[in-house]
Amino acid sequence: MKALLAMVRLTWKAAFRYRLIWALSALLVVAAVVLPGFIKHDETASGFTQIVLTYALGSIFALLGAATLWLACGTLARDIEEGQMQMVAVKPVPRWKIWLGKWLGIVTLDAVLLFASGLMVYGQLQWRSRELPPEQRERLRQEVLVARASLKEPSRDFRPLVARAFADWRKEHPGPLSPQDMAAVLKEIEEQFKAAEQIVRRDFARQWKIDARGLRERLGDGPLHVRAKLYLPEFRPGVVVEGRWRFGSLEAPRLEHVMPMTPEAFQEFAVPASQVINEDGTLLIHFVNRNPTAVVFLLEDGLEVLYREASFEVNFVRGLLILWMWLALLAALGLAASAFLSFPVAAFFALSLMVVLLFSGSMASAVEEGTVMGRDHETGKVDMPLVDRVMLPVFKGILSVVQLARSFSPIDALSTGRSITWGTLGRAFLQVMVVLGGAFALLGISTFTRRELASAQLAAT
Amino acid sequence: MTAGNVAAQSAASPAAREVVVSVRGLTKVFKDFWGRPKARAVNGVDFDVYRGEVFGLLGPNGSGKSTTVKMMLGLLRPTAGQVLVFGHSPRHVATKARIGYLPEESYLYRFLDSRETLRFFGDLFELPPRERNQRTEQLLEMVGLAGVHSRAVGEFSKGMQRRIGLAQALINDPDLVILDEPTAGLDPIGCREVKDLILALARRGKTVILSSHLLADVEDVCDRVVIYYGGKIQAMGALKDLLTERDTIRITTPVLSRQTLEKVLEILRSEAPADQVQVDNPTQNLERYFLEVVRRAREQAQETSGATSANRLAEYLQPGDQAAPDRRLERFTRPDTAATPPPAQPVSEAKPAPDTAKLDQLLKAQAPAPEPGPSSATPAPPTPEPVRQDLREADEKLKNLLKGS
Repeated sequence: MKALLAMVRLTWKAAFRYRLIWALSALLVVAAVVLPGFIKHDETASGFTQIVLTYALGSIFALLGAATLWLACGTLARDIEEGQMQMVAVKPVPRWKIWLGKWLGIVTLDAVLLFASGLMVYGQLQWRSRELPPEQRERLRQEVLVARASLKEPSRDFRPLVARAFADWRKEHPGPLSPQDMAAVLKEIEEQFKAAEQIVRRDFARQWKIDARGLRERLGDGPLHVRAKLYLPEFRPGVVVEGRWRFGSLEAPRLEHVMPMTPEAFQEFAVPASQVINEDGTLLIHFVNRNPTAVVFLLEDGLEVLYREASFEVNFVRGLLILWMWLALLAALGLAASAFLSFPVAAFFALSLMVVLLFSGSMASAVEEGTVMGRDHETGKVDMPLVDRVMLPVFKGILSVVQLARSFSPIDALSTGRSITWGTLGRAFLQVMVVLGGAFALLGISTFTRRELASAQLAAT
Repeated sequence: MTAGNVAAQSAASPAAREVVVSVRGLTKVFKDFWGRPKARAVNGVDFDVYRGEVFGLLGPNGSGKSTTVKMMLGLLRPTAGQVLVFGHSPRHVATKARIGYLPEESYLYRFLDSRETLRFFGDLFELPPRERNQRTEQLLEMVGLAGVHSRAVGEFSKGMQRRIGLAQALINDPDLVILDEPTAGLDPIGCREVKDLILALARRGKTVILSSHLLADVEDVCDRVVIYYGGKIQAMGALKDLLTERDTIRITTPVLSRQTLEKVLEILRSEAPADQVQVDNPTQNLERYFLEVVRRAREQAQETSGATSANRLAEYLQPGDQAAPDRRLERFTRPDTAATPPPAQPVSEAKPAPDTAKLDQLLKAQAPAPEPGPSSATPAPPTPEPVRQDLREADEKLKNLLKGS
């Protein structure tokens, strides 16, 4: 244990003595306090939150992420290159302990810097919220400075409907059909179903059915926040439409709420939980379109019902913990790379890997399209089927691994007052720290253990 | 040379001597990126190192000494053959607790100061904090860096870095000390101190492996050596055996009268060809002369921002009486036992019984014979007082002398 702690202290001392900690602290103060102080917000709760919380936390994470990766690659690779590791490795300390000590040094440093920066962000959020007009301040209190859990309608499975519609279509079009054409027809049918689900025509209503069992008792007369975003088939700036919301049955609603709605922006309104939730725990919400035009609710945006689950402070700490887990993962990535690469190469390798993982959109679209190299537009055949056969499973594998880390969005959650539950935190720990971090640790430690630490000394023999 | 050890070991049967390091068929081939052999640094080397001996790895640069050392420490993996240290693989973690290592370069953390450096390495050995701190202070004192303990190691001169490197190699009171070019970058005073330290460690039953290309270092301290060239052992054996010219003898006497000398020469020439009989004045060793000059300069008590001369062996490294660390003279004159061997002085001059005649001899051996100038201090002759009084006075003188050196 002493040896492990000695390695941790060594990393801390290096960070202080090389003035990294001071430079980083100054940059974090700029990111957390100075920049948000200079940037003018639009005096709305969401604009204020965007600058003081979203941008600030985003820049803090970017700064700490880059520093972590740099430090992780440097601390081990340079010790090996410059020979210090020869002095350490000949002492009775197993190499896994040296690796772990380095990692712990970096992640404890990250923890202190991240939580200190978080404290600055929190302080500024509280202090500067007084600049907002009273109603926006209230909105901030209700929608951001809380930890709200979310309920959604379960996503609908269109496959049975599509299959049935396709069978009907084949009766009408019995001729030969290539696999590419069949895929195109199936996709078209699915899009039609989705469109039908998304569009609410004039004088029609759209219903959402949400399971809200237990909430009626738990919240009583407390508020439920309905959050939705609608679109118009043709966007015209400045146009506001009527939002007529009915709870319970369409014909005899338990409550009706009418409000003006700006297209293409999320809007929220509160209703008392006990009044809108049915006795059986079902929450039925209808949007009645009395506007002269159709409106669209995209399935991806969905409609959410939010309710207070915990305090903002608890949520904020949980959000920072997830950010810290990501930093710990970056530290493991950097240390794993530096266990077998020299410092600049390790840094380049780790940064490249991070960029590839962050921008995995093209991989996702390749997987969705079912080809990496593309198709012939006329025949619909893939250009290089062999490449697809090899690369698609690789892409799928990478995406599922990346998804383990990317399936959390703590900054978004904090900016929208969403609750990051203990369950989410536990899942993040399991996926980010145990599975991904563990994999990098295993790779780094096993490589470092097997590595010859003095091979570069041949010339000095 | 530690003749005492050699004698003691020679008396024991080879089977009874504990093998500390065993090297068999050791080969190291460095390969390039594609796995093609690039250099055969060590080629089929065999030797054993026994407990308590000072073993030298001698050879020119690039001959394979450091590569051998690094395989002994588990920093490199042999391509063929094997190394056993205390009967285990060099990568065996627990075995490393018994080893101290000084590499050929200063591989210290530049941002730590000397005290932090020693504490850091002490922690790697899981030493209790109290013991670690005590050893740190004693070692800093021993290597003459107590006055600069708060300066970052990166600001140290090469010699000072060497000293702190040596101190870290001893923080665990190791049974096996591996020193790779320990005197590189040290001034003559530092070199002498390091050599004295090696001898002192050997007398405590420690095993020392010294890798060097400096012949004087090896000759001064090693019991046995291997001589490397091109990755192979070219010669191996006890230094005394390797260096003794068995068909020649040397007789040293005080200056004789011309008549007596003529008589002696006449007798000698009757036994040996005239051109093989030589008479000359022995010259003193340049190192000893240099140390005396510096000692006298130091008596002027000039302050220095660098390392001071090492004053005494760290207590925990000393044999026997730890409560009286400065009584080194008493130790010199103690009976030479395996448990408490005498400290770092030429063994041939260490005598078993504490009497004034031997004390005289010792002091003569320590003080330079000729006087370089009229202002030089001459050691006072021992007064005919009781033995303990003699010891105290002489101890004081020796302490001063060693401070100067």
